[in-house]
Amino acid sequence: MTDLTSSLPTETAPEDQGKSESARLGFWLTLPTQLLVLFIALFPILMQLYISLTDWSPLDGIPWYRAYELWIGLLNYIDLWNDPRFWGAMWRTCIVMAICVPAQFLLGLGLAILFVDEFPGKRVLYSTALLPMMVVPAVAGYMFFMLFQSGGPVNNILSFFAGSPVTIAWLSDPNLALFAVILSDIWQWTPLMFLILLAGMVSVPQDQQMAAVLLGASWWRRFRTIVLPRMKTIIIIAIAIRVIENFKVFDNFYIMTGGGPGVATETISIHIYKVTQQDLIWGYVAAMALAILIVLSVVSGLAISRMRKAS
Amino acid sequence: MASISFRNVTKRFGDTLAVDDVSFDIRDNAFFCLFGPPLSGKSTILKLILGLEQPDAGEILIDGRPVTHIGPAKRNVAMVFQNLALFPHMSALDNVRFPLVERRMPKAEIAAKVSAVSEKLHIGHILHKPPAQLSGGERQRVAIARALVRDPAAYLMDDPISALDARLREQTRVELRRIQQELGKTLVYVTHDQEEAMSVADGMAVLRDGRICQTGTPEELYRSPNSTYVGGMLGAPAMNVVPITMASRLSVDAAPRGADQLGVRPENLRVGVGEAGTIADVEPMGAFTTLTVQAGDTTLRATLRGQPKYTVGQPVGLSVDPGRAHFFDEGGAALESARREEERT
Amino acid sequence: MTEIVLDNLGKSFGDFTALKDMNLTIAQGEFVALLGPSGCGKSTTMNMIAGMLEPSEGQIRFDGKPMNGMPMARRGVGFVFQNYAIFTHMTVRENLAYGLKAQGVSRAETQRRVGEIAQLLQLTDLLDRRAAGLSVNILQRLAIGRSAVVEPSIFLLDEPLSNVDAAFRAVMRQELKSLQRQFKQTMVYVTHDQLEAMTMADRIAVMDHGKLLQVGTPIEVYNHPADTFVARFIGAPGMNLLDGRITGGDSGPVVDLGAAGHSGPVTAPGTGPVIFGFRPEEVHPDPNGPIQMAITMVERIGARIILHLAEGPHVAKAVLDAETQVPDQGGMIRFSVPAASVRLFDAQTERAL
Repeated sequence: MTDLTSSLPTETAPEDQGKSESARLGFWLTLPTQLLVLFIALFPILMQLYISLTDWSPLDGIPWYRAYELWIGLLNYIDLWNDPRFWGAMWRTCIVMAICVPAQFLLGLGLAILFVDEFPGKRVLYSTALLPMMVVPAVAGYMFFMLFQSGGPVNNILSFFAGSPVTIAWLSDPNLALFAVILSDIWQWTPLMFLILLAGMVSVPQDQQMAAVLLGASWWRRFRTIVLPRMKTIIIIAIAIRVIENFKVFDNFYIMTGGGPGVATETISIHIYKVTQQDLIWGYVAAMALAILIVLSVVSGLAISRMRKAS
Repeated sequence: MASISFRNVTKRFGDTLAVDDVSFDIRDNAFFCLFGPPLSGKSTILKLILGLEQPDAGEILIDGRPVTHIGPAKRNVAMVFQNLALFPHMSALDNVRFPLVERRMPKAEIAAKVSAVSEKLHIGHILHKPPAQLSGGERQRVAIARALVRDPAAYLMDDPISALDARLREQTRVELRRIQQELGKTLVYVTHDQEEAMSVADGMAVLRDGRICQTGTPEELYRSPNSTYVGGMLGAPAMNVVPITMASRLSVDAAPRGADQLGVRPENLRVGVGEAGTIADVEPMGAFTTLTVQAGDTTLRATLRGQPKYTVGQPVGLSVDPGRAHFFDEGGAALESARREEERT
Repeated sequence: MTEIVLDNLGKSFGDFTALKDMNLTIAQGEFVALLGPSGCGKSTTMNMIAGMLEPSEGQIRFDGKPMNGMPMARRGVGFVFQNYAIFTHMTVRENLAYGLKAQGVSRAETQRRVGEIAQLLQLTDLLDRRAAGLSVNILQRLAIGRSAVVEPSIFLLDEPLSNVDAAFRAVMRQELKSLQRQFKQTMVYVTHDQLEAMTMADRIAVMDHGKLLQVGTPIEVYNHPADTFVARFIGAPGMNLLDGRITGGDSGPVVDLGAAGHSGPVTAPGTGPVIFGFRPEEVHPDPNGPIQMAITMVERIGARIILHLAEGPHVAKAVLDAETQVPDQGGMIRFSVPAASVRLFDAQTERAL
């Protein structure tokens, strides 16, 4: 009965209860798959948890599963708590986030407002505006590395306006280097924010906006009372995505400054990389990874509960 | 060709009785309509006929054969969906062939069956077109052809034309009835539109909360509803149901014993000279005019032929066509009218 | 209350002409329905009155004041959208107060007026409910109340009943009509449903293909359609239109209908081809009637019987009372049409003669 299998109108709402028998059968049939999925998803995390409780390092010459021989309990976590370099990297990550996410949000919202209406040349501009997002982050890092050389275009332009040669060492001054890497992140990821916010803005019902205008609402009032509230869910999603992604920034930062000068641009990802590759204390890295996982879980948990409230 | 019978069928979803001790017979070749408001159990009955749901109690018979525990694939009933569900990327022909191709039937046999069904439905000349190029009526025929190509014993439709606008609905329901008459197969049809139900069906069941209130021909149900509910569900504007104390004001006498409510169809309410009520609204519809009359605390509606001149606020007298008053007891069940009792003796 | 004048109004989108030469004066406090099938220009007309569209030609005047170029927020127009466009993320109270707040009305005054309108529309108990999930008749009242509270001089309604269940539409029609009586504003109502237009409007403007075909009271339009389109569009079922030919009969000219016989005597300007029109409910079964047609289908719908008739090239419908004795499907019926009910249309132009 091929023409019969799709859903009939659901006149009978309480159907779910009636299906409980077949639901139970379904559960048992899919149990192996569910266990497999669970295993694939959880295994790396459980392994991290295990390693994080030991002093294991690849140089010790024992396989990872025998790491218990080097059991140290919560010592890695205590070290982590007292590690100023870890907290420094966390702090810098937060600074980057605190500047990047609001900047990307406001720029993205501004672009979305521009692009939600029709205007000549919209298509070309639209593709152009999305371009940075398509650039491979490593390449973006290289581009900004070039831009901020002391003889690079940024200084050239500044020289032109200043009327005298400007030779700012952008990437070797601790404060300016942070500024430069932040700029590269904003450049690259504003388009994503724009894309998500535009999709949200387009889905705000036209007739409701029209109704607000006919009732005498100004542009700002309409935006504030109709458009923004109806975009709430999508705004939460967009911001959550960028906050989580900000913990992961690596490529462009690493190429532009390598985390330097000193540790001026060492965010948490770069820090982990360095500890993993240079210090080779993997038990400690595992503890760090889990700590960050917990932070990010809290962030996404907050976002999800906010979204539930909004809808 | 098949008759379909329900014997005390009950279907529960958790604590909810979706179908409550339902019995009815659909005779062979009938155009049978299940009519009721949303959640009255119509669609559950369709699913029970199809075999998509199993009854908790009772028995379902197709052609006298119990099918209660036979799966949907072996029941040989077909379904035409509300939105027709034609595949837009296939020609009409491929749509019609689809169920047979899926069954890996030999090609020659498929061709024979498709040509037989398309001849019956007069769609031979449009089979090469994709659904997008067909008119609404043609699409309907193609969808029916696809359902019938397997030669099912009966076919079912769940509110197939409710999405169309008023004028198209009027055309399509006549078309549906014509198709059913030409094909001569049992058709079970679900609708919540009373005019559509009365127009197409030659037998119908009125449902409420999973129970069947009354079955019969549309005319029987319209003329002698067995309850205020059935009286109110059929006919537009709906039957006026007023307290029996209004009887004298409407010049109705000979109410049977136990009568608590009086039912009068708008077309049986006569408006004349008098002081029984005042006109509250006049709705001219061209062919007829609907008056809303305020009589004390009671609002009554009357449908008059043509375009009589009445103005809002005008006092009018009211009476009921002889023998056209319906009487109901306190619970809303119909009582035999005095006239009908007379006729019997 | 405002008088609306549409003066030679026209609108085209590129090559497509959506509206042409629309002339209509809507009196103060009048309820006018713009009626026609989709694409007839009725919504374009309404959107121009509201200011959502600028006319390509002609002028719109409110009380003599030209409205061309006037932004929609300043026209004083209340608009009820097809799906009501209720702000579902707000409460009923916030919806009602929206326009007043937007126009800078004081808090105390807003509260008072929202209270009043809620009382009038029986929304008082629902004021603090979220607008999402309210039933459709409450949404309709809320939409009207939200527009009415800012006291617009004109109300525009865009097919507000098209998403409403058939059984419920009659109730909503009556409610809408009584609301109009309370507010007394000039109302323009767009619909494709002739029944809505007939039962609610003071006057109906029938439109097709961007042109205004006829304006008149419901009964005028019903009884004297200006052309065959109006004749067919108004009434359910619409008017029967049979191609015939006027010939001289024994007692004056009649319309010869070929195999179906002929009409009774008609008053006709000459002889030749003509379209013979009569309403389905003006069919009078009569064993000696001059018209004879075959019954192809009998629809019994409660109080009425609809006969579907055919003969030669002609198809027609008849609406009879349920009591009428009629032959079964497949039989023949003879009938007459009273001379006063006959409408003749020019065979070429399809205009009423």
